[in-house]
Amino acid sequence: MSTLELEQVSRWFGNVVAVNDVTMHLGPGVTGLLGPNGAGKSTLINMMAGFLPPSAGTVTLDGRPLQHDPEIYRDLGLVPEREEMYDAVSGWDFVLANARLHKLPDPKTAARRAIDTVEMAEAEDRDIRTYSKGMKQRIKMATAIVHDPTVLLLDEPFNGMDPRQRLHLMDLLHRLGDEGRTILFSSHILEEVEQVAGRIEVVVAGRHAASGDFREIRRLMTQRPHQYTIRSSNDRALAAAVIGEAGTSGVELVTDASGDEIVQVQATDFSAFVHALPRLASRHGIRLLEVRPADESLESVFSYLVAR
Amino acid sequence: MSETTPAGAIHDIGYRRYEGPRLGASYIRRSLFLETLRGSFGLGRSARSKIMPNLMFGVLVLLAVVLGLVAGYFGMSELPMGYEEFVFSMQVPITIFLASQAPVAVSRDLRFKIAPLYFSRPLSRPQYVQARYAGMAAALFVLTAVPLTLLLAGALLAELPWREQLPDYVRSIAGAAVAALVLAGVGLVIAAMTPRRGLGVAAVAGTLLVLSGLQGTVRALAEEFGDAAFAGYAGLISPFSLVDGVMAVPLGAESVMATPPEGFVMGAVFCAVAALLVVGCYGSLLLRYRKALR
Amino acid sequence: MELPESLIRTDALTKRFGSVTAVEELTLDVRPGITGLVGANGAGKSTLLKILLGLLPATAGSASVLTLDVATQGPAIRERVGYMPEHDCLPPDVSATEFVVHMARMSGLPTTSARERAADTLRHVGLYEERYRPMGGYSTGMRQRVKLAQALVHDPALVLLDEPTNGLDPAGRDDMLELIRRIGTEFGISLIVTSHLLRELERVSDGIVVIDGGRLLRHSTTASVTAETAVVTVEVTEEPAELHDRLVADGLAVRREGVLLHVEVEGHEAYDLVRDAVADLGLGLVRLERQRHRMTEIFTDATARGEVHV
Repeated sequence: MSTLELEQVSRWFGNVVAVNDVTMHLGPGVTGLLGPNGAGKSTLINMMAGFLPPSAGTVTLDGRPLQHDPEIYRDLGLVPEREEMYDAVSGWDFVLANARLHKLPDPKTAARRAIDTVEMAEAEDRDIRTYSKGMKQRIKMATAIVHDPTVLLLDEPFNGMDPRQRLHLMDLLHRLGDEGRTILFSSHILEEVEQVAGRIEVVVAGRHAASGDFREIRRLMTQRPHQYTIRSSNDRALAAAVIGEAGTSGVELVTDASGDEIVQVQATDFSAFVHALPRLASRHGIRLLEVRPADESLESVFSYLVAR
Repeated sequence: MSETTPAGAIHDIGYRRYEGPRLGASYIRRSLFLETLRGSFGLGRSARSKIMPNLMFGVLVLLAVVLGLVAGYFGMSELPMGYEEFVFSMQVPITIFLASQAPVAVSRDLRFKIAPLYFSRPLSRPQYVQARYAGMAAALFVLTAVPLTLLLAGALLAELPWREQLPDYVRSIAGAAVAALVLAGVGLVIAAMTPRRGLGVAAVAGTLLVLSGLQGTVRALAEEFGDAAFAGYAGLISPFSLVDGVMAVPLGAESVMATPPEGFVMGAVFCAVAALLVVGCYGSLLLRYRKALR
Repeated sequence: MELPESLIRTDALTKRFGSVTAVEELTLDVRPGITGLVGANGAGKSTLLKILLGLLPATAGSASVLTLDVATQGPAIRERVGYMPEHDCLPPDVSATEFVVHMARMSGLPTTSARERAADTLRHVGLYEERYRPMGGYSTGMRQRVKLAQALVHDPALVLLDEPTNGLDPAGRDDMLELIRRIGTEFGISLIVTSHLLRELERVSDGIVVIDGGRLLRHSTTASVTAETAVVTVEVTEEPAELHDRLVADGLAVRREGVLLHVEVEGHEAYDLVRDAVADLGLGLVRLERQRHRMTEIFTDATARGEVHV
């Protein structure tokens, strides 16, 4: 339907290699592009939007290369990070102008639909310079979706947004994603990505470090032992039982920040441990109150990938 | 009987509360004043920042010393250049000093948005402006008063009659004080309007030089047309000639100009303008810093 | 050292700028501790902070900080309060040490004390040899630390932190949050932390104040906002269909969400049922976790209730 494919894409600026041999396939739904500052996220997005040609490799949309193809812009929408906009125009005029630039058959209807989708109808007649940051962001989005693109790219869209604005945007992206569009947004704030994206693509220093659901990525990180936090009715007995298993390299009884006692387990064989745990607890009559992977958060996955 | 000393001890280097004195806003204002004054001569700053101000200071000091030596060596009956004339002729180094240091006093805090940090402390906005203004003015005063004093010393060593020298000297010191206040005000206001560093320096220097040139041109034209009064009022245009005018009438000093202001009315006008300028500059700075509150 | 009983108290505090009302009828009683301040981008939060620092007069109502009246005792308040702004505010040509010493003196500390406090404070925020270098070359993380140091150097009773994790990468955020937590608990200093990132506030703050359109939307303890629900989430390595059916057969109410099963738990027996079901079916238990409420629910609930304007 709407697949954006990058094959061995690199982009350099003089000696600086901003993107290094990245292969990525983006399909319908919402994908988060995650990476530290300076990892090459903006460069990647600009290449996906067709603004920047790759120095090596190809970027294609449904098999068509992006370069030298103005028609491609019918299917692509970009919401860039930069804030500058035409100040002295009203929101409505701005979106309408964009609709006309796209040579849409019915620009007014399209503009109407776009503005309603981003819920800016109330303020559409005011000049853009009177808008708050969040409102400007929404108008930018309206211009990016006015031509009903199948692919939507957003560069750090949540930057500086307060919780309510963020919820709004997340909601909007989910809706658009559910409609079958391919949506990619970039961020360096894990909290934002976790809540919105089904899939994540991680870039570190220009390299493509990982892709998929972050939990799956964690499970694939076999070189690193898994850490588990367990609360039970008899921590010591559980600890003794668990260390007896082959897949466990370490067990520790700890008092956590709130004063509760917990068992922390280092498991070298993930599968063996998770299968053994309920068995052991059942056999010894120990009630399990909480079993939690301690290092599975996106933060942990991320710091591991960055450190490699 | 010796005390048993402990085998080892771990000292508490955790967070300590501060129970000491908290000196109020007056101390803080004085502190900021001193820092501004010292900073204008590069003290407490990098080596590179010491070059320009001290170079200018050196030029004035050198000239003062040379004048004294010349008077002594040639056994002159009066100084080759009078005290008032000295300050007026030194417009350029004084301007360069002000142009390079005013941005340091004022633009930095605005450019790097440090102002909110000052205002979230006990110092009020007026007190902050007072400290900066007074500091800059004090620096300019030191810049001119020290060479003037050296000039006096040179004159006395050249055995020029102290009865003649002293009143002139005192008048010029008073003039230096007025000049310091007026110039500091103008320089700081221009610098505060142009927070970008290079721009501030150029703006201050440019403005003062242009005003000086304008003053000269208008005066010359007026003198051409034989209108001495108008020529006298032309002195209001440039801060240096303004100060000269203030010194001429109320202080009775000998003006550098061919057509100085004369009479009570002109003198009053000059003084009023000078006073208004100082007050106006102070007010402008207050307004500028009100915007800076985050 | 005793913490004052009341940290911040406002009574129908209102501030208008012409036709714009930035703060409206705000009545608050903030206790000592670490309090998160959340609000929409816009006039509300920053205006409130300025009023509390005694820098902006209120249009109506009153406020006190550390039992000092903001209208009449502004300088006294600013003597005891530290402020860490959101934006960049460090000159590039000066070292951290020089800067913090200067700021200490600007808070009224005599020179010797200023030097000692500056050195100590820089150590507490984690700046070591770097402190002697000009700040122009500092990383964002180091800059944030210096900003924090100048806010702490005069030993305030209260520090206002505006988006302290702004611009930091995940590791840096962790460090900053740890530091904030330490300051609030070990150093005994109360903190107001502004942030848009609710997860971070959940980690660090004891309570939360939510302001929307200048009005108070919510003021609760973090504990009450993140209380446990009656739902336990179960995740196994295999497809959960079998487990789902087994648990239903055991008499539990189970809802499926992708790979996760959400089980309603009334008594603790349910835990044993889950454990045994997993063991019997030979599945791997990846997660067994009681769900907690999240701070974002304040916003979703409020929007649903029509309390906030979209």
